[in-house]
Amino acid sequence: MRLKSIAIPLLLGLTSLGLAIFSPPPPVAAQASDIAVIVNPGNPVTNVSLGDLRKIFSGAKRSWPGGLPIKLIGRGPGCPERFLLLKLLAMSESEYKQYWTAQVFRGEADAEPLIVPSVGMQKEALKAFPGGISLVILRDLKPEMKVLKVDNLLPGAAGYPLH
Amino acid sequence: MLALLLFPASAWSQTPTSNPGSGETTQETIPELVQQIRQLQQQDRDLQERIRILEAKQAPTAPATATEPASSSAPLPAPPPALPQPEERPAPAPTSASVPHDWHDVHGIQFRGFGEVDYQALNQRKPELGTYGFVPGSAGDFYTGDFGLFLTSRLTNKTSVLSEIIFEEGDAQSYKVTLRRMLLKYDHNDHLKMSFGRYQTNIGYYNWAFLSAAWLQTTADRPLVMEYASNGGLLPTQAVGVSITGAIPSGSLGLNYIAEYGSSDTIRPDLNGDGLFTDENNGNDFNVGLFLRPDTARGLQIGTSYYHDKISNNLLATFSGAPLPPPPGSPGLSARYGQTIVNGYVVYVAHGFEFLNEGFLIRDAPLHFIWPVFNTPAFYTQFSKRVGHLRPFFRFQYVNASPNNLIYNDVSLRYGPSFGARYDLNDYAGFTAQLDHTIRRGEPDLNGLQLQFAFTF
Repeated sequence: MRLKSIAIPLLLGLTSLGLAIFSPPPPVAAQASDIAVIVNPGNPVTNVSLGDLRKIFSGAKRSWPGGLPIKLIGRGPGCPERFLLLKLLAMSESEYKQYWTAQVFRGEADAEPLIVPSVGMQKEALKAFPGGISLVILRDLKPEMKVLKVDNLLPGAAGYPLH
Repeated sequence: MLALLLFPASAWSQTPTSNPGSGETTQETIPELVQQIRQLQQQDRDLQERIRILEAKQAPTAPATATEPASSSAPLPAPPPALPQPEERPAPAPTSASVPHDWHDVHGIQFRGFGEVDYQALNQRKPELGTYGFVPGSAGDFYTGDFGLFLTSRLTNKTSVLSEIIFEEGDAQSYKVTLRRMLLKYDHNDHLKMSFGRYQTNIGYYNWAFLSAAWLQTTADRPLVMEYASNGGLLPTQAVGVSITGAIPSGSLGLNYIAEYGSSDTIRPDLNGDGLFTDENNGNDFNVGLFLRPDTARGLQIGTSYYHDKISNNLLATFSGAPLPPPPGSPGLSARYGQTIVNGYVVYVAHGFEFLNEGFLIRDAPLHFIWPVFNTPAFYTQFSKRVGHLRPFFRFQYVNASPNNLIYNDVSLRYGPSFGARYDLNDYAGFTAQLDHTIRRGEPDLNGLQLQFAFTF
C-alpha cells in the first residue's frame, strides 16, 4: 500500500517529465511577443542578418551601408527588449554595462547606447537619428516605425528568431 | 476624468469628521475643484486643437510608410500597427531642422573618469623600479596609480575627438600629467576608420583592449611586456601619427586590418632599479596587423601584427636627464638599431570566460655597425572565469632578454605566475587581490601582494 502510494506519483512524474523532454516542440506560431527590429523610416535597409544584428548591437558594426553612422537606441533594464538584447549578445546586465564602458574607453564608441524610458520616446529618438536602430516588442509597434526583416523574416513569421 | 476627480471629492465631503469646521471647508472646496476641472478641460481642448493644426501642417511632408506586400511577408498574428514596407522606395530622412536638439549625446563633451587606490608589498627590500607611486624598497605602501579623465566629443556624424588625460603618481606623492591619448577620429564607414594624434599602438591585444584604466583589467597590473613604456614596459605603447583600422569584406570570418604610422619617442626607465633611463630616440614607425572575429565563434579573436622602427639605446642620468657615455666596448652614442616586433594572439572573451594568450618576438638588429642581433621573446597567458560578482584569475608571464642586449639588459629573464581574484562591488567599482611570484635571472625570486580598488565614474 505504502509502496503503491509512492510508486504511482513517481511514475506519473517520470512520465510527464519524459513527455516534456521527448515530445516534439509545439509548432512555432506567430507570436505577439516577438521583438521587432525598427529603424528610422528613411533608412533604406530592409533586411538584416542575425549575425549582423549582433555586430550592430555590440558596436562592432558602426555604420549602415552607405556610411550612415548607426545609433543604438535601447530600453532600460527590466524591459522585454532588454532581455532579448542581453540574450542576443550572451551577456548579463552587468557585463553589458561594463562592456559598453570599455567600448567607450577604447574609442570604439562615442557613447553608450541611448536609453529611452518609453515606446513613444523610442519612436521620437528613431525619428531624430537617421541611423537609429532599436528593438520593440511587437504589441508596442507604432505605425511610423519601420520594421526590418531578420534573416528575411518579419516578426510574427514562423521561425522568426527574436522573441 | 470629471467623474474620477469628482468621486474622491464627493466621497471625502461625505466622510464624517470630528472637525466642526470641515463642512464649510468642503462646501468651499467643491466649486474650486469644479473650476479647476473646467480649466483643465479647456486646456485639453486647446492642446487637441494645436495637435490638429500641427498634424495638418506636417501632412504633406510626413514620411510615407507602406506595408510589406502580402505575398512576400508572413502573416502576422493579431495585426499590430501595420508593418512598413521595406521594399518600396524609402521615405526621405528627416531633415536636420526636424531633429530635436535636446538629445544630449549629439554634441557636447562626454566626460568620464577612472581611478584606483592600491597597496603593494614585496618580500625583497632591494629596490626595483617603482611605478605608479609605489616606493621601491619599502615593506609595503599605498599609492594611487593612474587617475584618468576621459573626454569624447562628437563633432559631426563621422568625426569625433577623444582624449585621455592621466594624473600619474610619481615619487613622494608628486603627480605628473600625461596626455596618453588625444585623437581626432574620422569614421568614414566600417571599412575605414582613421585616428590622428596620439594613439595607443595596436601591437597586440592587451594594449588595445585595456588602455590605462585599471578598472577595465581583470588583474591588478598589466603583464610586464605590455606595461607602458614610461613605466618600464618593453614595447612602444604610444605614438603620435595616424592609425587606420577597418573591416575587410570577408563574410563570417570577420577579418579586420590595422595600419599605423607615427613616432613613438620612447624613454623607458630601467626595471632593475639602477635609476637610469633609456632614450630610444625612435624614428618614424609603422605597424600593420590583421585580426579576425569569426561569427561562428563569438568572443574569439585571433590576430597578428608587425611593427618596425629605428631606435637608439642612449642612457640618461636619473635626475638630470643628461646623456651618459655608453658602456665600454659597446657601440657609440646614438648607435641605431632596427627594431622589429612581431606579435600573435588568440583571445576568447565570452560567456564569463576570459582567456588571453599573446606572444611577442622583439628583434633588435644593429644598423651600420657590427654587433649581435638580439631576439627577445615574451609571452603571457591569462585565464579567468566570472562567478557571480567574483572573477578568479591566473596569469603566467615570461620575458627573456639577453644581458648583453643594451636596450633590455635591465629586464633580463623574468617569469612567473600571478593569481588572485577580482570582486565587482557594483557596475562601477571592483576590488582585486593578487599574488605574484617572479623568478629573475641572477636575482632572488620576488614575491608580491597587490590589493587594488579600481573604479570608474
